[in-house]
Amino acid sequence: MSEPAMQLLDVKKNIGSKQIIKGISFTINQGEVFGFIGPNGAGKTTTIRMMVGLMNLSDGDIRIMGNSIKSDYKQAAREIGAIVENPEMYPFMSGKQNLLHYARMIPGVTKERVHEVISLVGLEKPINDKVGKYSLGMRQRLGIAQALLHKPSVLILDEPTNGLDPAGIREIRTYIRSLAEKENVAVIISSHLLSEIEQMCDRIGIIKNGELIAIQDVHDTQAEKQISQILMEVTPAEKACELLKSQHDIESAVKGGALLFQNEKELIPQLIKTLVEHDISVFQVSVTKASLEDKFFDLIGENTIE
Amino acid sequence: MSNFFKLLYNEQFKIYIRKSTWIMYLLLAGIIVTLAVVANSYGELNEKYQQDNWREVLQEENNEINDTLKKNEDSFVSMQLEKNNFHLENDIQPREYDAWQFVMENELLLSLVTLFTIIVAAGIIANEFKWGTIKLLLIRPLSRTKILLSKYISVLVFAFFTLLFVLLFSWIVGALFFGVNGEPSFVQYQLGNYAEASVFEEITKGYGYQLVTLLMMATFAFMISSAFRQSSLAIGVAIFLMFAGNSIVGFFADRSWAKYILFANTNLEQYEFGDPMIEGMTLGFSISVLAVYYIVFLLISWLFFTKRDVAGH
Repeated sequence: MSEPAMQLLDVKKNIGSKQIIKGISFTINQGEVFGFIGPNGAGKTTTIRMMVGLMNLSDGDIRIMGNSIKSDYKQAAREIGAIVENPEMYPFMSGKQNLLHYARMIPGVTKERVHEVISLVGLEKPINDKVGKYSLGMRQRLGIAQALLHKPSVLILDEPTNGLDPAGIREIRTYIRSLAEKENVAVIISSHLLSEIEQMCDRIGIIKNGELIAIQDVHDTQAEKQISQILMEVTPAEKACELLKSQHDIESAVKGGALLFQNEKELIPQLIKTLVEHDISVFQVSVTKASLEDKFFDLIGENTIE
Repeated sequence: MSNFFKLLYNEQFKIYIRKSTWIMYLLLAGIIVTLAVVANSYGELNEKYQQDNWREVLQEENNEINDTLKKNEDSFVSMQLEKNNFHLENDIQPREYDAWQFVMENELLLSLVTLFTIIVAAGIIANEFKWGTIKLLLIRPLSRTKILLSKYISVLVFAFFTLLFVLLFSWIVGALFFGVNGEPSFVQYQLGNYAEASVFEEITKGYGYQLVTLLMMATFAFMISSAFRQSSLAIGVAIFLMFAGNSIVGFFADRSWAKYILFANTNLEQYEFGDPMIEGMTLGFSISVLAVYYIVFLLISWLFFTKRDVAGH
């Protein structure tokens, strides 16, 4: 296994007497897309600001390709490309002038690379227009272009889908996946909307009140034997409910002539058999996969900010 | 090092691509042309002394002045009399007003240059916060100290270019309106007497003394900009202090610590006439006080810029 792209080691942040981040540790591998999810105010942006060196760490360390952000900032920053919150650029300069401006701040970024990045994000046409005239989607792309100029190992995108239309979100999704797969870039994406980034992530870390409460492997949950949400439309429902309890030890809820419970999908034929044997009419059985979203809400509970 | 020049180039680029900067230059150009037109139509251009009979012209003037003086005492005309006598006694022909003298008189435009430099210094950090671009600026593999230094030097470079613009443009406009004389000198009242002075020397001195205020106030605005991340506050406070400086010194003049006030020391010209604002002050003392203020301003800017987190709004 190659060196991890980014490591957070017991990162803490105090602001005043309040502890905003209470010791977060995780590792992101090269070529991996990592989703960073949490309700507003959970500490996502603070953690990201510490990753890119905008905020100092109160305790712990962050290593980027092995370089500590505390003691070896320049080496660490060389490996990072980022958009922090909105992709804010100089509105009175053209897209190209903006990119050249940032290119001059990093040694080794050539004009050819600038053009390469421009075509990579598909901004060739409006690149000489003033950024003030850009739509949010165009600025988002310019933001990504700016973050990729120096071929970073780690790309950090804070709320990249914020304010984008569905087409724009889809485009970014495809683009980020191809970056991770082809260029082996580790991508960290934060969002408070899990559904938007679920499909492009390999793993998802959930943060709540400054603590990392779970790391979920997206592909694992899909392969694994899964607990599903099962809905059965049966008559009479009450009798069916009792039967499931006595015969299969399943607790179910009766909702308007239907039973609602969670169990493995594989069990359904048996259940139907039992019900039919007891003269219960089954009209419909539907299975919904418990999505990550449900898990997410299970984990974070109510959206409270301490 | 080339790395640093790239940063400097970036900062200059961001200053000069903005329309507000061009408006400053247009304003200066407009004022210079206006001053030239006014001087050309109403000013004393000394044309009447340019013939060979300039001694007679002066003598005639003196006779007229003496006539008026007999009727009633008027100090203004008596000063003219003294000046004319100086020319006659030392056999110095009054020089025709020219581009050099025009440049010299435009020394007053330096307070406008100071004002513009304050505006640029106040915005150079604060605007990055306002635009949100500070985040993208500070995640580069560069130390914050280097970025801060590039911004500060950029302010000084802007002041230098603007000063150069005032000098060059004044000279060009002056040359077009009034022509150029070789090795210009003029006669001025100095330390109770009239004396001949070199225009070059006067230009250097006049502009030079004002640069002290420019440097101190621009650095002050830069500090406020770095500490509070707000350009309007920085501009407001710096300009207020620039204009109220002398009154502040006057207000506290009887206190023992008054001589340590920045504005008691910014005018180094006071020592040339041997008449300091507060008794007991010397040139060396003022330079030391200025140096201490300057270092403190820069140190505070540096501390705030490098040590403070860039947090959300």
